Amino acid sequence: MKSVVIEHLARVEGHGGITVELEGGTVGKVHFDVFEGARLLESLVCGKRYDEVAPILSRICSICSSAHSLTSLKATENAFGVQISPQAELLRELLYQGESIESHALHLFFLAAPDYLNFPSAIALAAAKPDAVQLGLRLKKLGNLVQETIGGRAVHPVNVVPGGFGTVPTIDQLIELRTALREGMADCDAVLNVIASLPPTDFCHCDTAYAALLSPDLGSYYPGDEVMLVNNGDRSRVRAADYRMLANEQSVLHSHAKHSSFGGRPFMVGSLARLTVNAQRLTGRLAVAMQRLQLQLPARNPMDNNKAQAVELVSDIERALHLVEHLLRDGIKDERPAEVKVRAGTGTGITEAPRGLLIHSYTYDSEGRITAADVITPTALNAASMELHFRRTVEQCAEREEAVLARRLQMVARAYDPCISCSVHLVRRQ
Amino acid sequence: MSKPTVGIFGLTGCAGDQLVILNCEDQLLDLVSLIDIRDFLMASSENDDDCLLDVALVEGAVVSQRDAEKLRAIRKRAKILVALGTCAVWGGVAAMDRGADRRKLLQEVYGEMGLGYDSAATQAVHEIVKVDLNITGCPIEKDHFLAAIGNLLNGDAPVYPEYPVCSECRMLENNCLLIERGELCCGPITAAGCKARCPNLRVACVGCRGPVSDANPSSLLAAFEEKGFDRQAIAARLRTFAPQGGAQ
Repeated sequence: MKSVVIEHLARVEGHGGITVELEGGTVGKVHFDVFEGARLLESLVCGKRYDEVAPILSRICSICSSAHSLTSLKATENAFGVQISPQAELLRELLYQGESIESHALHLFFLAAPDYLNFPSAIALAAAKPDAVQLGLRLKKLGNLVQETIGGRAVHPVNVVPGGFGTVPTIDQLIELRTALREGMADCDAVLNVIASLPPTDFCHCDTAYAALLSPDLGSYYPGDEVMLVNNGDRSRVRAADYRMLANEQSVLHSHAKHSSFGGRPFMVGSLARLTVNAQRLTGRLAVAMQRLQLQLPARNPMDNNKAQAVELVSDIERALHLVEHLLRDGIKDERPAEVKVRAGTGTGITEAPRGLLIHSYTYDSEGRITAADVITPTALNAASMELHFRRTVEQCAEREEAVLARRLQMVARAYDPCISCSVHLVRRQ
Repeated sequence: MSKPTVGIFGLTGCAGDQLVILNCEDQLLDLVSLIDIRDFLMASSENDDDCLLDVALVEGAVVSQRDAEKLRAIRKRAKILVALGTCAVWGGVAAMDRGADRRKLLQEVYGEMGLGYDSAATQAVHEIVKVDLNITGCPIEKDHFLAAIGNLLNGDAPVYPEYPVCSECRMLENNCLLIERGELCCGPITAAGCKARCPNLRVACVGCRGPVSDANPSSLLAAFEEKGFDRQAIAARLRTFAPQGGAQ
């Protein structure tokens, strides 16, 4: 029996690989191997006071650290029934947009684009296409500026606390952000040009199910507590408290990440899923962007997730600017976090991290110490869908040469923008 | 003169320190013109995983045999090995309770199958191999990384603050969160260098940079107890990012 083995995926966050077994013309086992070490953080966090939980669990992943922090706080605040102020809601959403801008720019320009153009890295690509790499760097920096200003640090935000924020930004800081975001708006066209110019890739064509947070305000990632699944014409809704219906995970030996399905079927989360679920928002600039990228929904090609990220990059910058203008118009108030009164109970927080649905669910005792933590990450939710798409990729490839298969498999893997540190989450068995 | 060869590696962690390197947006292209990055899996799909390295930058903690073997192989290749970030320097969050029964935890989380996983009590890089330079922080500060590269290019040893976060916080004229507001702030025993990011935003220091070299935990413990915190809460806070006995 022949196998295609990608020992160690490059240009992704964390440590993982792919193994595909070929038995004559048919495809045997397909594994997305996750060998990122188990840190057991969800067990280790037990016993900690409620205000220590977010700083610890944000360390699950750096690229999504704002999402982990805020989803953690959402779960904790839900457990205690804490209501944060409308201003804090806006600031949290702005922080999310900043993270998404940084993450999408990093992924599109540094991790994914080099593949399409046959370069090993963005550093190598910089010699041939300096403008594209500079553009990616500028947008990354813009996302980081938002995160530094609102979160207090670009990686592992320090300013987000139960009840709101340690300190709110000053008017001068918001004006600085507004200027930077306006410059970012001017870069959007170039983003679409770069992504539209990449060679078309269609390695695996198949029906795909999608799941994303139903966004009450369409373009937002933070508010909302209901997930919608779209599977061909079928639409199902799952409330935050019932998240286990999505994350009916199974341990598998080849991976420290568990596998999820809904109704026995794998589903995809992330940019493409968000656009598919919240399709009503695709008007104006976004509709134009979709057209420029020839992106049609629902997509039957996981590589389209890269295009969806480019559309979101445009919408994130637009929305972040809108939020900053809103905050400046209303006048920012120097407010303290809402008071937290601890009580025994359970709380769940669901948000959209850059890579898709992120769920934190906690149980607290009456003294505000955490007794159980459950974290479900986008890459873990995606693992089964990735394996399905790896299988289709090999099935639909006329060639059996290992180098060709390996390249295609890696490109499909990267299109998911996997975050493997995130995927090694620890869920207590139910 | 040929450019120094550099490898950038991640053991088990969040990749945050490698991300800080990629976040040097204004310096990144200059940086890669001064050093020859041969092995950087997070950023490149073409790596020489065998060549000798003038400098190896290693982030993350050792939580498995696989990590330990990888680290020993890196050490053999490298003239200078730099531990990058709190996980590499101290063990980080994964080391916070390393006395716990690993098998029990694995079984709790993954069921019987967990017992087959390659998993060991978390260790810092210096517990496995010799480390030539520590750059702490969770994540590292951008300017500390850039200074280290500049210094190493010039043959100098980088120097980092050897005073606590409190010193930086006082320079910024902040009100003291511990004394004036009775919060569990780890500033007095935590290594400075972050410009007191957290207390400067009215948020208590969580000690993410690890202990300062002349830390006096017993005096902090007394101060906390005076403020009415129980020992369990204090102990949990103090060993979040660096395990007990992890001092080097």
